[in-house]
Amino acid sequence: MANIRLRADRYGIDWKNLLTLAVAVGAAVLWIARAPASDEALFPMPVGKTYLNECGSCHTAYAPGHLPARSWRRMMAELSDHFGEDASLDQPAHLSILKDLETLAADNPAANQRMRRIAAGVPAGATPQRITETAYFRHLHDEVPKHFWRRKSIGNPANCAACHPRANEGRYGEREIRIPAQ
Amino acid sequence: MKLPLSNLTGLAMLALSGVHAQAETPRQILDSYVAQAGAASATRGETLFRGQFSGGRIARACTACHTDDARAMGQHVKTGKVIDPLAPVAQKDRFTDPAKVEKWFRRNCNEVLGRECTPQEKADFTAYMITLK
Ligand code: HEC
Ligand code: HEC
Ligand code: HEC
Repeated sequence: MANIRLRADRYGIDWKNLLTLAVAVGAAVLWIARAPASDEALFPMPVGKTYLNECGSCHTAYAPGHLPARSWRRMMAELSDHFGEDASLDQPAHLSILKDLETLAADNPAANQRMRRIAAGVPAGATPQRITETAYFRHLHDEVPKHFWRRKSIGNPANCAACHPRANEGRYGEREIRIPAQ
Repeated sequence: MKLPLSNLTGLAMLALSGVHAQAETPRQILDSYVAQAGAASATRGETLFRGQFSGGRIARACTACHTDDARAMGQHVKTGKVIDPLAPVAQKDRFTDPAKVEKWFRRNCNEVLGRECTPQEKADFTAYMITLK
C-alpha cells in the first residue's frame, strides 16, 4: 500500500485523474468490443470539426491513413495552390490539421495493418499527393469499370463519399459500399 | 511527471470554442456589407450569380458548382462532391458565420473572376441569396 501511494505521488496521479482514466479505458474496451472484424477498412479520423470543415468542404474529408506523413507535410506547405485552388488556412487551423495528419498518417507508429500496407506500397523517395494514384488505391479499385467513375454523381475517383457513404468517418468497409446508378 | 489529462481537457475546450465562431443572421451579414458599400441590389446579385467570366482558373461561373438554382444541391466541378444549397431558405446555416462567408467569397471569386469580389458585389450577392424564397 505504502508502495502504491509512493508511486502514485511520484506520477502526480490523484483520484480524479484515475477516475477519468478508468472511464477512458472502459470506453476504449467497449469500442474495441463493438468494432467489427479486425481487417474491416476502418481508418482513424481527426477529432473535432476542424478537419471536416476545412478539408471536407471541397471533397471527401480523406482519412489521413491513406498517405504517408511526408505527403501530407508537402501538401500542407503548398495549400495556397492546392490542385489549382486556394485551400490556405489560418495558422491555428493549419497547425492543428498538420499535427492530426502526421499523427494519423499511413506510416505513423500506431498505424493499423491496412495503413502499414498502404505505407509499404509507396516507394521510399516518393511523396504522392493523390490517394487515387497510390498502388494501394489502384489495386483495390481495379475491378471498378472505367465508365463508373464518370457517372454524374461520382464524377471523379477522388469522390470517395459517392460510393463509400461514411468515408468522412473513416469507414470504407466493403459492406457499406453503395455505387450510385448514375 | 503528471499524466497529461489536463492537456486533454484543454484540447477539448479549444475544439469546442472553435465551433462557435460569431453566429449572426444573414440580415446582419448583409448589413455589414451594405455599411461598407452602399445600398445592395438583389438584381445585380443575380447577375453576378449567373454571369459567365473568363478570369478564373477553376470555373467560368458561380453556377458551375452551385447550379442554376441556389436553393438546390450543388456539385463541385472538379471533385464531384455534393454541395449544400447556398440560399438560406434551403440551408439554414448559410450566411450566418461572417468569417466563413468571407473565406468563400475570397476563394470562389478568385476561382471564377480571377480577383476578389468588391464589398458592393458581396452586398448584392448576399441580398440576392436572402430574397430567394
Ligand atoms: C477550395 C477547395 C479545396 C479545399 C478547401 C481542399 N481541397 Fe483538397 N482538393 C481540391 C481539388 C480541386 C482537388 C483535385 C481534384 C481533382 O482534380 O481530381 C483536391 C485534391 C486533394 C487530394 C488528392 C485526391 C486524390 O485525387 O486522391 C487530397 C489528398 C486533398 N485534396 C487533401 C486536402 C486536405 C488535407 C485539405 C485541407 C487542408 C484540402 N484538401 C482542402 C480542393 C480543395
Ligand atoms: C465508383 C465508386 C468508388 C469510389 C468513388 C471510391 N471507391 Fe473505394 N471501393 C469501391 C469498390 C466497388 C470497392 C470494393 C472493391 C472490391 O472489393 O473488389 C472499394 C474498396 C475500397 C477499400 C477497401 C474496402 C475493404 O473492405 O477492403 C478502400 C479502403 C477504399 N475503397 C477507399 C477509397 C478511397 C480512399 C476513395 C477515394 C479517394 C474511394 N475508395 C473511392 C468503389 C469506390
Ligand atoms: C469550384 C466550385 C465553386 C464555384 C465555381 C463557386 N463556389 Fe461558392 N462554394 C463552393 C464550396 C465547395 C463552398 C463551401 C461548401 C459548403 O460550405 O458546403 C462554397 C461556399 C460559398 C459561400 C459560403 C456561404 C455560407 O455562408 O456558407 C459563398 C458566399 C459562395 N460560395 C459564393 C460563391 C460565389 C459568389 C461564386 C461565384 C463568383 C461561387 N461561390 C462559385 C464551391 C464553389
